[in-house]
Amino acid sequence: MAGRRTFQATFAAAVTIALGSGSALAHAGALGGSLQSSAVPSWLLVLTGGSVVGASFLFATLMTDHGAIRAINAVGARLRRPSWGGWFVIGLKAASVLALLVILASGIIGPRTPTANFAVVVVWAGWWAGYTMSVYLIADTWRLLNPWRAVTDLLAVSDRSVPERWGAWAAIIGLLGLVWLEVVSPVSENPTLLVAVIAAYTLVTIAGGLYYLDWFDRVDPISRIFRCYGLMAPIQRTGNGIEFRLPSAALTDGSVSVDSRFVIAVLWVTTYDGMVSTPAWRTLAGWFVGVGFPAIVVYLVAILLGFGVFLAAYRLAAGYARRTADTFVTSRFIGEWLAPSLLPIAAGYHLAHFLGYLISLLPTLGAVITHPLTRPPVLQVLTIPGWFSGLQLAFVVIGHLFAVWVAHARSFELFPGRLQPVRSQYPFIVIMILYTITSLWIVSRPFGSPPFV
Amino acid sequence: MNSTVPIPETVVPAGETPAASCPYCDRPFKTERQRDLHVIEQHPEDASGDEREAAEAANDAEVDELFFYHMKVIVAIGLLYSALVIVYMVVLGG
Repeated sequence: MAGRRTFQATFAAAVTIALGSGSALAHAGALGGSLQSSAVPSWLLVLTGGSVVGASFLFATLMTDHGAIRAINAVGARLRRPSWGGWFVIGLKAASVLALLVILASGIIGPRTPTANFAVVVVWAGWWAGYTMSVYLIADTWRLLNPWRAVTDLLAVSDRSVPERWGAWAAIIGLLGLVWLEVVSPVSENPTLLVAVIAAYTLVTIAGGLYYLDWFDRVDPISRIFRCYGLMAPIQRTGNGIEFRLPSAALTDGSVSVDSRFVIAVLWVTTYDGMVSTPAWRTLAGWFVGVGFPAIVVYLVAILLGFGVFLAAYRLAAGYARRTADTFVTSRFIGEWLAPSLLPIAAGYHLAHFLGYLISLLPTLGAVITHPLTRPPVLQVLTIPGWFSGLQLAFVVIGHLFAVWVAHARSFELFPGRLQPVRSQYPFIVIMILYTITSLWIVSRPFGSPPFV
Repeated sequence: MNSTVPIPETVVPAGETPAASCPYCDRPFKTERQRDLHVIEQHPEDASGDEREAAEAANDAEVDELFFYHMKVIVAIGLLYSALVIVYMVVLGG
Protein backbone atom coordinates (compact mmCIF):
# COMPACT_ATOMS: atom_id res chain seq x y z
CA MET A 1 0.00 0.00 0.00
CA ALA A 2 2.51 2.29 1.00
CA GLY A 3 5.97 2.49 0.12
CA ARG A 4 4.88 4.15 -2.99
CA ARG A 5 4.80 7.45 -1.16
CA THR A 6 8.33 6.84 -0.02
CA PHE A 7 10.08 7.68 -3.17
CA GLN A 8 7.81 10.38 -4.33
CA ALA A 9 10.19 13.24 -3.80
CA THR A 10 13.30 11.43 -4.95
CA PHE A 11 11.93 10.17 -8.20
CA ALA A 12 9.64 13.05 -8.97
CA ALA A 13 11.76 14.29 -11.83
CA ALA A 14 12.24 10.96 -13.57
CA VAL A 15 8.66 9.91 -13.41
CA THR A 16 7.25 13.31 -14.24
CA ILE A 17 9.19 13.25 -17.47
CA ALA A 18 7.98 9.73 -18.06
CA LEU A 19 4.33 10.55 -17.69
CA GLY A 20 4.67 13.87 -19.36
CA SER A 21 2.66 16.05 -17.03
CA GLY A 22 2.60 17.87 -13.72
CA SER A 23 4.19 17.01 -10.41
CA ALA A 24 0.97 15.42 -9.21
CA LEU A 25 2.00 12.45 -11.30
CA ALA A 26 5.31 12.16 -9.58
CA HIS A 27 4.47 9.05 -7.76
CA ALA A 28 6.01 5.98 -9.26
CA GLY A 29 3.16 3.60 -8.60
CA ALA A 30 0.23 5.95 -8.68
CA LEU A 31 -2.46 5.86 -11.27
CA GLY A 32 -3.12 9.51 -10.62
CA GLY A 33 -3.64 11.36 -13.83
CA SER A 34 -3.82 8.16 -15.84
CA LEU A 35 -6.99 9.37 -17.46
CA GLN A 36 -6.03 12.99 -17.92
CA SER A 37 -3.96 12.67 -21.05
CA SER A 38 -6.75 10.98 -22.96
CA ALA A 39 -9.22 12.83 -25.15
CA VAL A 40 -12.01 10.88 -23.46
CA PRO A 41 -13.27 12.58 -20.28
CA SER A 42 -12.66 10.62 -17.12
CA TRP A 43 -16.36 10.23 -16.27
CA LEU A 44 -16.83 8.41 -19.58
CA LEU A 45 -13.88 6.09 -19.01
CA VAL A 46 -15.24 5.30 -15.56
CA LEU A 47 -18.68 4.62 -17.04
CA THR A 48 -17.09 2.43 -19.71
CA GLY A 49 -15.29 0.40 -17.06
CA GLY A 50 -18.59 -0.19 -15.25
CA SER A 51 -20.27 -1.14 -18.53
CA VAL A 52 -17.55 -3.64 -19.40
CA VAL A 53 -18.12 -5.38 -16.07
CA GLY A 54 -21.90 -5.35 -16.56
CA ALA A 55 -21.59 -6.63 -20.13
CA SER A 56 -19.25 -9.39 -19.03
CA PHE A 57 -21.92 -10.57 -16.61
CA LEU A 58 -24.49 -10.56 -19.45
CA PHE A 59 -22.11 -12.60 -21.61
CA ALA A 60 -21.49 -15.01 -18.74
CA THR A 61 -25.23 -15.67 -18.43
CA LEU A 62 -25.09 -17.13 -21.94
CA MET A 63 -22.85 -19.82 -20.53
CA THR A 64 -25.22 -21.90 -18.44
CA ASP A 65 -23.87 -25.37 -19.05
CA HIS A 66 -22.80 -26.59 -15.65
CA GLY A 67 -20.50 -29.27 -17.04
CA ALA A 68 -18.71 -26.80 -19.34
CA ILE A 69 -18.19 -24.30 -16.51
CA ARG A 70 -16.69 -27.03 -14.34
CA ALA A 71 -14.54 -28.31 -17.20
CA ILE A 72 -13.03 -24.86 -17.79
CA ASN A 73 -12.24 -24.41 -14.12
CA ALA A 74 -10.83 -27.91 -13.75
CA VAL A 75 -8.22 -27.51 -16.52
CA GLY A 76 -4.87 -28.26 -14.94
CA ALA A 77 -1.91 -30.54 -14.38
CA ARG A 78 -0.37 -32.02 -11.26
CA LEU A 79 3.21 -32.51 -10.15
CA ARG A 80 4.35 -34.71 -7.27
CA ARG A 81 6.59 -33.29 -4.58
CA PRO A 82 10.26 -34.15 -5.29
CA SER A 83 12.21 -36.21 -2.74
CA TRP A 84 14.62 -33.34 -1.99
CA GLY A 85 11.67 -31.06 -1.13
CA GLY A 86 12.26 -31.26 2.61
CA TRP A 87 15.82 -29.93 2.45
CA PHE A 88 14.81 -27.21 0.05
CA VAL A 89 12.12 -26.03 2.48
CA ILE A 90 14.61 -25.93 5.38
CA GLY A 91 16.95 -23.84 3.21
CA LEU A 92 14.15 -21.40 2.31
CA LYS A 93 13.14 -20.98 5.94
CA ALA A 94 16.72 -20.31 7.03
CA ALA A 95 17.11 -17.75 4.22
CA SER A 96 13.88 -15.98 5.24
CA VAL A 97 15.07 -15.60 8.84
CA LEU A 98 18.41 -14.30 7.60
CA ALA A 99 16.62 -11.75 5.36
CA LEU A 100 14.57 -10.52 8.34
CA LEU A 101 17.77 -10.06 10.39
CA VAL A 102 19.43 -8.10 7.56
CA ILE A 103 16.33 -5.87 7.28
CA LEU A 104 16.43 -5.14 11.01
CA ALA A 105 20.19 -4.45 10.91
CA SER A 106 19.91 -2.22 7.86
CA GLY A 107 17.13 -0.20 9.45
CA ILE A 108 19.36 0.48 12.45
CA ILE A 109 22.83 0.96 10.94
CA GLY A 110 22.14 1.33 7.19
CA PRO A 111 22.03 4.64 5.26
CA ARG A 112 19.27 7.09 6.31
CA THR A 113 18.16 7.99 2.80
CA PRO A 114 15.02 5.91 2.20
CA THR A 115 15.94 5.10 -1.42
CA ALA A 116 19.40 3.85 -0.41
CA ASN A 117 18.19 1.82 2.57
CA PHE A 118 17.90 -1.92 2.19
CA ALA A 119 15.06 -2.24 4.74
CA VAL A 120 12.86 0.43 3.15
CA VAL A 121 13.37 -0.66 -0.47
CA VAL A 122 13.14 -4.38 0.19
CA VAL A 123 10.07 -4.15 2.44
CA TRP A 124 8.01 -1.77 0.30
CA ALA A 125 9.14 -2.38 -3.27
CA GLY A 126 10.50 -5.91 -2.99
CA TRP A 127 8.10 -7.46 -0.53
CA TRP A 128 4.86 -5.51 -0.38
CA ALA A 129 4.74 -4.71 -4.10
CA GLY A 130 6.76 -7.48 -5.78
CA TYR A 131 6.36 -10.44 -3.49
CA THR A 132 2.61 -9.88 -3.11
CA MET A 133 2.29 -9.94 -6.91
CA SER A 134 4.12 -13.27 -7.01
CA VAL A 135 1.59 -14.63 -4.51
CA TYR A 136 -1.49 -13.95 -6.65
CA LEU A 137 0.20 -14.33 -10.05
CA ILE A 138 2.30 -17.44 -9.31
CA ALA A 139 1.78 -19.17 -5.96
CA ASP A 140 1.36 -18.59 -2.23
CA THR A 141 4.83 -19.32 -0.91
CA TRP A 142 4.42 -17.37 2.35
CA ARG A 143 3.90 -20.59 4.30
CA LEU A 144 7.54 -21.40 3.39
CA LEU A 145 9.04 -17.91 3.44
CA ASN A 146 7.39 -16.51 6.58
CA PRO A 147 10.40 -15.97 8.89
CA TRP A 148 8.21 -15.64 12.00
CA ARG A 149 6.57 -18.96 11.30
CA ALA A 150 9.97 -20.58 10.73
CA VAL A 151 10.92 -19.52 14.27
CA THR A 152 7.68 -20.55 15.98
CA ASP A 153 7.53 -23.88 14.09
CA LEU A 154 10.93 -24.67 15.52
CA LEU A 155 9.98 -23.82 19.09
CA ALA A 156 6.22 -24.27 19.36
CA VAL A 157 4.73 -26.95 21.55
CA SER A 158 1.31 -25.32 22.03
CA ASP A 159 -1.93 -27.04 21.15
CA ARG A 160 -4.25 -24.14 22.08
CA SER A 161 -6.63 -22.79 19.45
CA VAL A 162 -7.57 -19.15 18.96
CA PRO A 163 -11.10 -18.64 20.37
CA GLU A 164 -13.65 -18.76 17.55
CA ARG A 165 -15.20 -15.45 18.55
CA TRP A 166 -12.29 -13.07 18.15
CA GLY A 167 -10.05 -14.84 15.62
CA ALA A 168 -11.37 -13.13 12.48
CA TRP A 169 -11.91 -9.77 14.15
CA ALA A 170 -8.36 -9.73 15.48
CA ALA A 171 -7.07 -10.23 11.92
CA ILE A 172 -9.33 -7.46 10.59
CA ILE A 173 -8.34 -5.00 13.34
CA GLY A 174 -4.69 -5.92 12.74
CA LEU A 175 -5.01 -5.23 9.01
CA LEU A 176 -6.90 -1.95 9.40
CA GLY A 177 -4.40 -0.91 12.11
CA LEU A 178 -1.35 -1.63 9.95
CA VAL A 179 -2.74 0.28 6.96
CA TRP A 180 -3.81 3.22 9.13
CA LEU A 181 -0.31 3.33 10.65
CA GLU A 182 1.25 3.25 7.19
CA VAL A 183 -0.89 6.17 5.99
CA VAL A 184 -0.56 8.46 9.02
CA SER A 185 3.09 7.80 9.91
CA PRO A 186 6.33 8.05 7.91
CA VAL A 187 6.89 4.30 8.29
CA SER A 188 7.26 3.96 4.53
CA GLU A 189 10.25 6.32 4.36
CA ASN A 190 11.87 6.32 7.79
CA PRO A 191 14.15 3.26 8.25
CA THR A 192 14.24 3.58 12.05
CA LEU A 193 10.47 3.75 12.39
CA LEU A 194 10.04 0.92 9.90
CA VAL A 195 12.35 -1.30 11.92
CA ALA A 196 10.57 -0.34 15.15
CA VAL A 197 7.23 -1.40 13.62
CA ILE A 198 8.75 -4.65 12.32
CA ALA A 199 10.26 -5.33 15.75
CA ALA A 200 6.91 -4.75 17.46
CA TYR A 201 5.19 -6.99 14.90
CA THR A 202 7.88 -9.63 15.48
CA LEU A 203 7.28 -9.63 19.24
CA VAL A 204 3.51 -9.91 18.90
CA THR A 205 3.71 -12.54 16.15
CA ILE A 206 6.30 -14.76 17.85
CA ALA A 207 4.39 -14.58 21.15
CA GLY A 208 1.08 -15.31 19.39
CA GLY A 209 2.58 -18.10 17.31
CA LEU A 210 4.06 -19.76 20.39
CA TYR A 211 0.90 -19.43 22.46
CA TYR A 212 -1.63 -20.45 19.80
CA LEU A 213 -1.28 -23.34 17.38
CA ASP A 214 -3.39 -21.65 14.68
CA TRP A 215 -2.18 -18.05 15.12
CA PHE A 216 -0.96 -17.78 11.52
CA ASP A 217 -4.13 -19.28 10.10
CA ARG A 218 -6.56 -17.19 12.09
CA VAL A 219 -5.07 -13.99 13.53
CA ASP A 220 -1.89 -12.91 11.73
CA PRO A 221 -3.21 -10.44 9.10
CA ILE A 222 -0.19 -10.79 6.80
CA SER A 223 -0.44 -14.58 6.60
CA ARG A 224 -4.16 -14.30 6.01
CA ILE A 225 -3.79 -11.76 3.19
CA PHE A 226 -1.26 -13.95 1.42
CA ARG A 227 -3.38 -17.05 1.89
CA CYS A 228 -6.37 -15.22 0.40
CA TYR A 229 -4.37 -13.89 -2.55
CA GLY A 230 -2.72 -17.29 -3.02
CA LEU A 231 -6.11 -18.95 -3.54
CA MET A 232 -6.36 -17.35 -6.98
CA ALA A 233 -2.81 -18.25 -8.06
CA PRO A 234 -2.26 -20.63 -10.98
CA ILE A 235 -0.04 -22.89 -8.85
CA GLN A 236 -1.83 -24.54 -5.93
CA ARG A 237 -0.51 -26.81 -3.20
CA THR A 238 -2.19 -30.20 -3.00
CA GLY A 239 -1.82 -33.08 -0.55
CA ASN A 240 1.22 -34.57 -2.25
CA GLY A 241 2.57 -31.95 -4.62
CA ILE A 242 1.39 -29.01 -6.68
CA GLU A 243 -1.28 -28.38 -9.26
CA PHE A 244 -1.32 -25.94 -12.18
CA ARG A 245 -4.66 -24.20 -12.77
CA LEU A 246 -6.04 -21.36 -14.87
CA PRO A 247 -5.78 -17.98 -13.07
CA SER A 248 -8.57 -17.63 -10.46
CA ALA A 249 -9.93 -21.09 -11.33
CA ALA A 250 -8.97 -22.52 -7.95
CA LEU A 251 -11.31 -19.93 -6.35
CA THR A 252 -14.26 -21.82 -7.83
CA ASP A 253 -13.46 -25.02 -5.90
CA GLY A 254 -16.19 -25.95 -3.45
CA SER A 255 -13.57 -26.55 -0.76
CA VAL A 256 -12.40 -22.91 -0.86
CA SER A 257 -13.79 -20.84 1.95
CA VAL A 258 -12.69 -17.40 3.06
CA ASP A 259 -14.05 -15.12 5.74
CA SER A 260 -16.09 -12.52 3.85
CA ARG A 261 -15.37 -9.89 6.52
CA PHE A 262 -11.63 -10.29 6.07
CA VAL A 263 -11.82 -10.25 2.26
CA ILE A 264 -13.89 -7.07 2.43
CA ALA A 265 -11.28 -5.57 4.77
CA VAL A 266 -8.57 -6.39 2.17
CA LEU A 267 -10.66 -4.75 -0.54
CA TRP A 268 -11.41 -1.71 1.61
CA VAL A 269 -7.82 -1.01 2.67
CA THR A 270 -6.67 -0.90 -0.97
CA THR A 271 -9.49 1.54 -1.71
CA TYR A 272 -8.73 3.60 1.40
CA ASP A 273 -5.07 3.82 0.49
CA GLY A 274 -6.00 5.36 -2.86
CA MET A 275 -8.88 7.44 -1.48
CA VAL A 276 -6.76 9.40 1.02
CA SER A 277 -4.65 10.68 -1.87
CA THR A 278 -7.57 12.30 -3.72
CA PRO A 279 -8.43 16.02 -3.68
CA ALA A 280 -11.94 15.14 -2.46
CA TRP A 281 -10.45 13.59 0.65
CA ARG A 282 -8.29 16.68 1.17
CA THR A 283 -11.43 18.83 1.18
CA LEU A 284 -13.41 16.53 3.45
CA ALA A 285 -10.62 15.83 5.93
CA GLY A 286 -9.65 19.51 5.83
CA TRP A 287 -13.10 20.45 7.10
CA PHE A 288 -12.87 18.06 10.07
CA VAL A 289 -9.30 19.09 10.87
CA GLY A 290 -10.37 22.74 10.62
CA VAL A 291 -13.13 22.17 13.14
CA GLY A 292 -10.49 20.86 15.53
CA PHE A 293 -10.35 17.09 15.21
CA PRO A 294 -6.81 15.68 15.27
CA ALA A 295 -5.87 14.47 11.77
CA ILE A 296 -4.88 10.96 12.86
CA VAL A 297 -8.29 10.53 14.51
CA VAL A 298 -10.03 11.64 11.30
CA TYR A 299 -8.01 9.02 9.39
CA LEU A 300 -8.85 6.38 12.00
CA VAL A 301 -12.58 7.11 11.97
CA ALA A 302 -12.53 7.10 8.16
CA ILE A 303 -10.88 3.68 7.91
CA LEU A 304 -13.32 2.15 10.42
CA LEU A 305 -16.38 3.85 8.94
CA GLY A 306 -15.45 2.93 5.37
CA PHE A 307 -14.97 -0.70 6.37
CA GLY A 308 -18.43 -0.63 7.99
CA VAL A 309 -19.96 0.80 4.80
CA PHE A 310 -18.29 -1.82 2.58
CA LEU A 311 -19.36 -4.62 4.90
CA ALA A 312 -22.94 -3.33 5.14
CA ALA A 313 -23.18 -2.98 1.35
CA TYR A 314 -21.97 -6.54 0.86
CA ARG A 315 -24.38 -7.93 3.45
CA LEU A 316 -27.21 -5.97 1.88
CA ALA A 317 -26.33 -7.55 -1.48
CA ALA A 318 -26.32 -11.01 0.11
CA GLY A 319 -29.75 -10.29 1.61
CA TYR A 320 -31.12 -9.26 -1.78
CA ALA A 321 -29.56 -12.33 -3.40
CA ARG A 322 -31.73 -14.50 -1.16
CA ARG A 323 -34.71 -12.78 -2.76
CA THR A 324 -33.59 -12.62 -6.40
CA ALA A 325 -32.59 -16.30 -6.25
CA ASP A 326 -35.87 -17.26 -4.57
CA THR A 327 -34.23 -19.59 -2.09
CA PHE A 328 -34.23 -20.74 1.53
CA VAL A 329 -30.42 -20.59 1.70
CA THR A 330 -29.50 -17.95 4.31
CA SER A 331 -28.09 -14.64 3.17
CA ARG A 332 -25.09 -15.25 5.43
CA PHE A 333 -24.27 -18.48 3.60
CA ILE A 334 -24.69 -16.82 0.19
CA GLY A 335 -22.39 -13.98 1.27
CA GLU A 336 -19.69 -16.36 2.51
CA TRP A 337 -20.09 -18.58 -0.54
CA LEU A 338 -19.49 -15.78 -3.04
CA ALA A 339 -16.81 -13.94 -1.02
CA PRO A 340 -13.86 -15.57 -2.92
CA SER A 341 -15.03 -13.71 -6.05
CA LEU A 342 -13.89 -10.43 -4.47
CA LEU A 343 -10.24 -11.50 -4.36
CA PRO A 344 -9.38 -10.97 -8.06
CA ILE A 345 -10.75 -7.42 -7.69
CA ALA A 346 -8.34 -6.68 -4.85
CA ALA A 347 -5.47 -8.30 -6.77
CA GLY A 348 -6.24 -6.34 -9.96
CA TYR A 349 -6.20 -3.09 -8.03
CA HIS A 350 -2.96 -4.04 -6.29
CA LEU A 351 -1.29 -4.85 -9.62
CA ALA A 352 -2.47 -1.59 -11.17
CA HIS A 353 -1.21 0.30 -8.17
CA PHE A 354 2.22 -1.24 -7.77
CA LEU A 355 3.51 -2.73 -11.04
CA GLY A 356 4.87 0.54 -12.42
CA TYR A 357 6.33 1.38 -9.03
CA LEU A 358 8.05 -2.00 -8.81
CA ILE A 359 9.44 -1.87 -12.36
CA SER A 360 10.80 1.64 -11.91
CA LEU A 361 12.57 0.57 -8.70
CA LEU A 362 14.05 -2.72 -9.95
CA PRO A 363 17.57 -1.24 -10.44
CA THR A 364 17.40 0.30 -6.95
CA LEU A 365 16.31 -3.02 -5.54
CA GLY A 366 19.31 -4.70 -7.15
CA ALA A 367 21.64 -2.00 -5.83
CA VAL A 368 20.47 -2.23 -2.20
CA ILE A 369 20.48 -6.02 -2.23
CA THR A 370 24.15 -5.99 -3.19
CA HIS A 371 24.86 -3.24 -0.58
CA PRO A 372 22.57 -4.11 2.34
CA LEU A 373 24.30 -2.10 5.05
CA THR A 374 26.14 0.63 3.13
CA ARG A 375 25.08 3.25 0.64
CA PRO A 376 25.06 1.84 -2.92
CA PRO A 377 27.42 3.82 -5.23
CA VAL A 378 24.79 4.26 -7.96
CA LEU A 379 21.00 4.54 -7.54
CA GLN A 380 18.96 4.32 -10.70
CA VAL A 381 15.30 4.08 -11.58
CA LEU A 382 13.70 2.94 -14.80
CA THR A 383 11.46 5.32 -16.69
CA ILE A 384 7.90 4.13 -17.13
CA PRO A 385 6.54 4.82 -20.63
CA GLY A 386 3.36 6.84 -21.04
CA TRP A 387 1.26 3.99 -22.41
CA PHE A 388 1.74 2.17 -19.14
CA SER A 389 -1.12 4.09 -17.53
CA GLY A 390 -3.57 2.48 -19.97
CA LEU A 391 -2.29 -0.90 -18.85
CA GLN A 392 -2.98 0.04 -15.24
CA LEU A 393 -6.63 0.82 -15.98
CA ALA A 394 -6.85 -2.50 -17.80
CA PHE A 395 -5.61 -4.37 -14.69
CA VAL A 396 -8.46 -2.90 -12.63
CA VAL A 397 -11.05 -4.01 -15.18
CA ILE A 398 -9.47 -7.44 -15.75
CA GLY A 399 -9.60 -8.10 -12.00
CA HIS A 400 -13.34 -7.44 -12.13
CA LEU A 401 -13.81 -9.73 -15.12
CA PHE A 402 -12.23 -12.63 -13.22
CA ALA A 403 -14.46 -11.75 -10.28
CA VAL A 404 -17.57 -12.00 -12.47
CA TRP A 405 -16.47 -15.41 -13.71
CA VAL A 406 -15.74 -16.73 -10.20
CA ALA A 407 -19.12 -15.51 -8.91
CA HIS A 408 -20.80 -17.11 -11.93
CA ALA A 409 -19.11 -20.48 -11.40
CA ARG A 410 -19.69 -20.51 -7.63
CA SER A 411 -23.38 -19.61 -7.95
CA PHE A 412 -23.81 -22.60 -10.28
CA GLU A 413 -22.38 -24.82 -7.57
CA LEU A 414 -24.75 -23.47 -4.95
CA PHE A 415 -28.06 -23.29 -6.82
CA PRO A 416 -29.65 -25.95 -9.04
CA GLY A 417 -30.63 -25.42 -12.65
CA ARG A 418 -29.52 -22.43 -14.70
CA LEU A 419 -31.85 -19.52 -14.03
CA GLN A 420 -31.66 -19.56 -10.24
CA PRO A 421 -27.82 -19.30 -10.20
CA VAL A 422 -27.91 -16.44 -12.70
CA ARG A 423 -30.55 -14.55 -10.72
CA SER A 424 -28.66 -15.02 -7.47
CA GLN A 425 -25.81 -12.94 -8.91
CA TYR A 426 -27.79 -9.74 -9.64
CA PRO A 427 -27.07 -7.90 -6.37
CA PHE A 428 -23.40 -8.88 -6.44
CA ILE A 429 -22.99 -7.64 -9.99
CA VAL A 430 -24.48 -4.29 -8.93
CA ILE A 431 -21.91 -4.16 -6.10
CA MET A 432 -19.08 -5.02 -8.50
CA ILE A 433 -20.11 -2.35 -11.01
CA LEU A 434 -20.31 0.25 -8.23
CA TYR A 435 -16.91 -0.86 -7.02
CA THR A 436 -15.37 -0.65 -10.51
CA ILE A 437 -16.73 2.86 -10.83
CA THR A 438 -15.41 3.84 -7.40
CA SER A 439 -11.93 2.46 -7.94
CA LEU A 440 -11.60 3.86 -11.47
CA TRP A 441 -12.79 7.21 -10.14
CA ILE A 442 -10.16 7.14 -7.39
CA VAL A 443 -7.35 6.24 -9.76
CA SER A 444 -8.44 8.91 -12.20
CA ARG A 445 -8.01 11.68 -9.62
CA PRO A 446 -4.75 13.63 -9.52
CA PHE A 447 -2.47 12.02 -7.00
CA GLY A 448 -1.16 13.74 -3.88
CA SER A 449 0.31 12.61 -0.59
CA PRO A 450 -2.26 12.08 2.19
CA PRO A 451 -2.81 15.55 3.69
CA PHE A 452 -2.40 16.73 7.31
CA VAL A 453 -0.25 13.80 8.45
CA MET B 1 -14.45 -28.45 -9.11
CA ASN B 2 -12.27 -30.68 -7.02
CA SER B 3 -14.64 -31.31 -4.19
CA THR B 4 -18.26 -31.53 -3.34
CA VAL B 5 -20.22 -28.50 -2.26
CA PRO B 6 -20.98 -28.32 1.46
CA ILE B 7 -24.66 -28.46 2.37
CA PRO B 8 -25.77 -24.83 2.50
CA GLU B 9 -27.29 -23.36 5.64
CA THR B 10 -31.01 -22.81 5.07
CA VAL B 11 -33.79 -21.13 7.04
CA VAL B 12 -37.47 -21.46 6.26
CA PRO B 13 -39.15 -18.27 7.55
CA ALA B 14 -42.03 -18.74 10.02
CA GLY B 15 -45.35 -19.04 8.21
CA GLU B 16 -43.78 -20.46 5.05
CA THR B 17 -43.65 -24.12 4.04
CA PRO B 18 -41.14 -25.37 1.52
CA ALA B 19 -42.78 -26.56 -1.70
CA ALA B 20 -40.32 -29.45 -1.74
CA SER B 21 -37.27 -30.78 0.00
CA CYS B 22 -34.45 -33.07 -1.04
CA PRO B 23 -34.97 -36.66 0.14
CA TYR B 24 -31.18 -37.17 0.41
CA CYS B 25 -29.93 -34.01 2.15
CA ASP B 26 -33.21 -32.47 3.46
CA ARG B 27 -32.46 -29.13 1.78
CA PRO B 28 -35.75 -27.21 1.42
CA PHE B 29 -36.72 -25.58 -1.89
CA LYS B 30 -39.20 -22.91 -2.92
CA THR B 31 -40.34 -24.87 -5.98
CA GLU B 32 -40.47 -28.52 -6.95
CA ARG B 33 -38.49 -27.71 -10.07
CA GLN B 34 -35.54 -26.47 -7.98
CA ARG B 35 -35.65 -29.70 -5.97
CA ASP B 36 -35.86 -31.95 -9.04
CA LEU B 37 -32.85 -30.23 -10.62
CA HIS B 38 -30.94 -30.32 -7.35
CA VAL B 39 -31.40 -34.09 -6.93
CA ILE B 40 -30.03 -34.90 -10.38
CA GLU B 41 -27.08 -32.47 -10.00
CA GLN B 42 -25.99 -33.23 -6.44
CA HIS B 43 -27.14 -36.83 -5.90
CA PRO B 44 -26.96 -38.40 -9.37
CA GLU B 45 -26.05 -41.88 -8.03
CA ASP B 46 -29.00 -41.96 -5.62
CA ALA B 47 -31.66 -40.63 -8.00
CA SER B 48 -34.45 -43.10 -8.78
CA GLY B 49 -36.11 -43.54 -12.17
CA ASP B 50 -38.99 -41.27 -11.20
CA GLU B 51 -36.61 -38.60 -10.02
CA ARG B 52 -34.69 -38.78 -13.28
CA GLU B 53 -37.92 -38.29 -15.24
CA ALA B 54 -38.91 -35.37 -13.02
CA ALA B 55 -35.48 -33.81 -13.54
CA GLU B 56 -35.79 -34.18 -17.31
CA ALA B 57 -39.18 -32.49 -17.25
CA ALA B 58 -37.81 -29.71 -15.04
CA ASN B 59 -34.86 -29.28 -17.39
CA ASP B 60 -37.15 -29.04 -20.46
CA ALA B 61 -39.27 -26.40 -18.74
CA GLU B 62 -36.17 -24.46 -17.81
CA VAL B 63 -34.69 -24.63 -21.31
CA ASP B 64 -37.83 -22.92 -22.63
CA GLU B 65 -37.65 -20.23 -19.98
CA LEU B 66 -33.92 -19.84 -20.53
CA PHE B 67 -34.46 -19.21 -24.23
CA PHE B 68 -36.60 -16.15 -23.53
CA TYR B 69 -34.20 -15.06 -20.81
CA HIS B 70 -31.29 -15.19 -23.25
CA MET B 71 -33.25 -13.19 -25.81
CA LYS B 72 -33.60 -10.47 -23.18
CA VAL B 73 -29.90 -10.70 -22.35
CA ILE B 74 -28.94 -10.25 -26.00
CA VAL B 75 -31.24 -7.24 -26.28
CA ALA B 76 -29.65 -5.81 -23.13
CA ILE B 77 -26.12 -6.31 -24.51
CA GLY B 78 -27.17 -4.63 -27.75
CA LEU B 79 -28.72 -1.68 -25.95
CA LEU B 80 -25.71 -1.27 -23.67
CA TYR B 81 -23.26 -1.19 -26.57
CA SER B 82 -25.42 1.11 -28.69
CA ALA B 83 -25.80 3.50 -25.76
CA LEU B 84 -22.04 3.55 -25.18
CA VAL B 85 -21.28 4.10 -28.86
CA ILE B 86 -23.75 7.01 -29.01
CA VAL B 87 -22.30 8.57 -25.84
CA TYR B 88 -18.78 8.28 -27.31
CA MET B 89 -19.93 9.81 -30.60
CA VAL B 90 -21.53 12.74 -28.80
CA VAL B 91 -18.55 13.32 -26.49
CA LEU B 92 -15.76 12.89 -29.04
CA GLY B 93 -17.66 14.50 -31.89
CA GLY B 94 -18.84 17.52 -29.88
